Amino acid sequence: MSASAVFILDLKGKVLICRNYKGNMDMNEIDHFMPILMKREEEAEATPLVTHGSSHFLWIKHSNLYLVAMTKKNANASLVYTFLYKIVQVFKEYFKELEEESIRDNFVTVYELMDEVMDFGFPQTTDSKILQEYITQQGHKLEVGAPRPPATITNAVSWRSEGIKYRKNEVFMDVIESVNLLVSASGSVLRSEIVGTIKLRVVLSGMPELRLGLNDKVLFEITGREKSKAVELEDVKFHQCVRLSRFENDRTISFIPPDGESELMSYRLNTTVKPLIWIESVIEKFSHSRVEIKVKARSNFKTRSTANSVSILVPVPSDADSPKFKTSTGSAKWVPEKSAVQWNIKSFPGGKEYVMRASFGLPSVDSDELEAKRPITVNFEIPYFTVSGIQVRYLKIIEKSGYHALPWVRYITQSGDYQLRTN
Amino acid sequence: MPYLGSEDAVRELRRALSNPHVQSDPLRYRSSVLRAVRAMSQGVDVSDLFSEMVKACATVDVVQKKLVYVFLCSYATLNPELSLLVINTLRKDCQDPNPMVRSLALRNMTNLRLPSLVEYVEQPLTAGLRDRAACVRRVAVLGWAKLHHLQPHPEIDAAVVNELYGLLRDPDPVVMVNCLRALEEILKEEGGVAINKPITHHLLNRLKESDVWGQCEVLRILQRYHPQSEDELFDILSLLDASLVSPHAPVMAATLSLFLGLCSGLPAVSLAALERVRGPLLAACGSVSRETRFTALCHIQLLLRSLPGLMGAHYKRFFCSYAEPAYIKQRKMQVLVELVNDENVAMLLDELKGYCTDVNPETAQAAISAIGRIGRSYSDRCLEILTGLLGLKQEHITSAVLQTMCDLVWVCPQCSDTVCLALEGCDGMLQDSQGRQALLWLLAVYGERVSSAPYTLEVFIDGVRSEASLGVKMELLTTTMKLFLCRPSETQDMLGRLLHYCIEEEMDMCVRDQALLYYRLLHCGIEETRKVLQGRRSDPSLGVLIGRPAEPISQWASSFNTLEPLRQGGVATEPASRGSPEHVTFDPKPNTDLSDTLNCSQIEKVNLDSDGASRFTYSSANVPARSLSLSPVLSPEAFERLWMQRHASHAEQGAEKLEEEEDYVCLEEHIQCPAVPYCSPQSLQAAMQLVNIQTLAFTPPHTLPWRVYLYTHTQHAHSGSTLIVGELLYTGEPSRRVVAVKKCTEDGDVVEEEEEAGMLSGRELVKKDEEEEEIKVTLKQQPRDDKALKDFLSILTTVLHTHN
Repeated sequence: MSASAVFILDLKGKVLICRNYKGNMDMNEIDHFMPILMKREEEAEATPLVTHGSSHFLWIKHSNLYLVAMTKKNANASLVYTFLYKIVQVFKEYFKELEEESIRDNFVTVYELMDEVMDFGFPQTTDSKILQEYITQQGHKLEVGAPRPPATITNAVSWRSEGIKYRKNEVFMDVIESVNLLVSASGSVLRSEIVGTIKLRVVLSGMPELRLGLNDKVLFEITGREKSKAVELEDVKFHQCVRLSRFENDRTISFIPPDGESELMSYRLNTTVKPLIWIESVIEKFSHSRVEIKVKARSNFKTRSTANSVSILVPVPSDADSPKFKTSTGSAKWVPEKSAVQWNIKSFPGGKEYVMRASFGLPSVDSDELEAKRPITVNFEIPYFTVSGIQVRYLKIIEKSGYHALPWVRYITQSGDYQLRTN
Repeated sequence: MPYLGSEDAVRELRRALSNPHVQSDPLRYRSSVLRAVRAMSQGVDVSDLFSEMVKACATVDVVQKKLVYVFLCSYATLNPELSLLVINTLRKDCQDPNPMVRSLALRNMTNLRLPSLVEYVEQPLTAGLRDRAACVRRVAVLGWAKLHHLQPHPEIDAAVVNELYGLLRDPDPVVMVNCLRALEEILKEEGGVAINKPITHHLLNRLKESDVWGQCEVLRILQRYHPQSEDELFDILSLLDASLVSPHAPVMAATLSLFLGLCSGLPAVSLAALERVRGPLLAACGSVSRETRFTALCHIQLLLRSLPGLMGAHYKRFFCSYAEPAYIKQRKMQVLVELVNDENVAMLLDELKGYCTDVNPETAQAAISAIGRIGRSYSDRCLEILTGLLGLKQEHITSAVLQTMCDLVWVCPQCSDTVCLALEGCDGMLQDSQGRQALLWLLAVYGERVSSAPYTLEVFIDGVRSEASLGVKMELLTTTMKLFLCRPSETQDMLGRLLHYCIEEEMDMCVRDQALLYYRLLHCGIEETRKVLQGRRSDPSLGVLIGRPAEPISQWASSFNTLEPLRQGGVATEPASRGSPEHVTFDPKPNTDLSDTLNCSQIEKVNLDSDGASRFTYSSANVPARSLSLSPVLSPEAFERLWMQRHASHAEQGAEKLEEEEDYVCLEEHIQCPAVPYCSPQSLQAAMQLVNIQTLAFTPPHTLPWRVYLYTHTQHAHSGSTLIVGELLYTGEPSRRVVAVKKCTEDGDVVEEEEEAGMLSGRELVKKDEEEEEIKVTLKQQPRDDKALKDFLSILTTVLHTHN
């Protein structure tokens, strides 16, 4: 890849910050970007690649910012997008939120970071853990004599520096699975997928060596424990700290963790699971008078688990008015800006079924506009439960000094892109 | 964007920067510098502050240094003389004990982009290459590339190039990758960095150490290497195997690109690689980032050009989600069209039907035209959906449906009845000109059969004065003329009015000339007009099922993993509509009997010449009396009718092996030749034509189920001629019957051996199964002549066997 320049623009297309890495393109070219994008957006085809003459703009949008890479080469598109997302991630780890305000407030740091992540159009150090060691946000403090470059720049363990000390040694591990679901109007499951991540918060001294045991099916097959309940993981991605060769050899997940928060691994499962929250809906539209909506929600998981803060968003016609609701549990409200009814259920135990009825008035004059067939979307969170059945069997922590450390594991299942189409 | 008062701001800043009190207070000094840089990035012209900023550079505060450098690098080209002053500070910093300061100085020295400073930069850069700290070496290596970019300097470059090649062995992986990048830049004229065997192996061995960016760079550069032997090639491939299924999409794509490059001579290996990346590619299609998803979709479209069957089983992954942006939905639909087959067509059409009512008109239009494309193979179901959509009376939908129907009837004339029926309800309510043009075109071609055509046309003609589109007016003229030819009494009056308006009042020259032309043409008499206007309709032999032939991988391999697939906007996969070249048309030359009837004894000769002659099975003794012929020609419609009718009666009677009627026979047979479904349709067609078998329709290679439809006439001196229509079907699954037959014919040893092998490794068995896969041949003959059918079958078997 080679990006000639990277820009950060606000929503109006005004340049907040830019970096000319290569000096082979006119920086004013960016002025063409926004008008083209606006025009395309009207035509609803604002593809992530915008071309003006020989300049190509590859862009992504993050909250109220556009991040644009400019190039005139036939660059490697997927790499450029990956890079843009990477710098978003770096910024987020520095400023918590990446938005126009945070760019303005952390002007100096943004410049420093943009200097480090890329040189002459080639990505250099993009690991925020390393960057954080020598680019600090202490803008007010004076740094007489720059910080030493972290040993990590040449160190074998580039993501963790030596000499970290804590009084109490602990590891917190979150296993989070989000469920993506698409159900057709006739009630058949079109797509069902589980995306899991394992997140770490490491509070450990020294250079600890961690070993994580999962109920991985392949591992169980190797070790001959085929009878136990195991999960078949697909598309497993690891943080760079995990020794891939060992995983490939004997499926052992061993690593020296980065300090603080990080994402250890992610995986995907394509197995069809029973939709955790099943929705049956009847939306009857009597044109010119009213809409009657009946939604039945059923929880398809064990009774000992409970889904929290369930919110079911049911679409209603945009010209509907005077809502009336009746729910067997929870509360329903009309969200006119989304043209939807939002049904909130604080706690939804497994094996239960709840009903919500709503009716709306419709104007007597029909609008000619074709209404979009929007799906019902569901948000929920089920703690202490994983759909896939993945389990952390052990997390061993070994350090030279032989201190005792506590591992904490937490499981959460949540909704991802969870949609049920309506008629 | 200078704003009012920017001059004041600059003046104020200058005062602050040169104020000794500010300079003595490091915090205030830094904040003044920051304000200057902030003003710069807001577009205020602060170049006047250059000399003040140069002074601010001499500080121990690294953050201030960085800010000043950002400023200086932006304005250096405007102040080359003053920039000379910075160089001293920078060179001093290059001696700093702190490597961070050294690398910072070195980087900014090369970022000044001033040719006049090159001589001062070279020495620190050379020293930088040998620095102890890796971060300095990284900067120094790229520094040379920047220098070369600025001003090529041949004699120094030679020395540097050698040093850079040496640094490829640097312990730091980023230095190694930066060396590759720098050499690429410096040796651009000579075709980039030279890759030999030791370098290749060194790079491959250290691939794992690099981050995603480095790996992609290395993989890209390795494409230039040509392995010296097949063994070496396979060694490299097996080293790369893990990266091929890398969870990082860019690494996976770069590896695949390298694979395709290395295996250009080994299609089987490329194929295996493509199969292997299917999983990661599909995962990228479900990525959270819509840009990654889009990129993956674009690249999948590229792959499908060569391997239409690659994603067949995973069509559900390409169903659109409600919230997806339109550009992703449209790409997904383009992919879906490619994936359609007998099994999933119902499901797919149902899904596409849902998209047709999308609120975004472009998405709706894309969905409708996708249905139209599928309609070329599955016309009945698609037409049903399309006519159903007309019932919605939504303007943009109607317009899109009409445009799609135009394209569809052109390639599938058998659809015309349904289209005519649908046209009855359409009136001139369309607003957009393309839809109106489509409607007029359809009326022109099928006006005869649409009873309401003159009324629809009248609405157009009455409104011609307010018509803005040139295209619609031209189309209207042609349509009215054509309709006049077939329905003169109803249209004469309005034609007169239209011509009068166009000749007397119309301001546009093109329309006027066209009208005049038609007017004069009418003077020449009705027959003459008919001859001119009723040109060729769509070719009736345009395919029933014909797909686009698969392209060789090399066609697109070079643009894989670049910007190009994203730019095409799907044009490459969306072929031109009417009369497009993808529809292979055959001209069977019906009148030249002599050349068309080829005696079978000749076939033998032909086959003996080819290498497959050893498997020649049929005896030539009974052949001379019989021959195959292509005439009379059977049109695709006639074929379809014949086939379907026979098919129905066949189904009623249950699946018997050989079913008999007085004048008709149906035969099912299995032939072993697994390679045929993978060969190109053209070559198979050529082979068939050699023996006077006409192929009518193909599915593209590699799709499952794979089908070919064919027909021929057998001619016999005594029993007269019979027509044989047939279908070759390859489902990809070994058929049970055949396995059973095999077991009883083959001796026990073989069976046992096979079982043993199966116990040793499952893989072996799978392979054997593949070898047993067969093509199912269904033949229907009319009138019945068993002997002729048997002969034909043996000829067909021979052709299929000799073909692979």
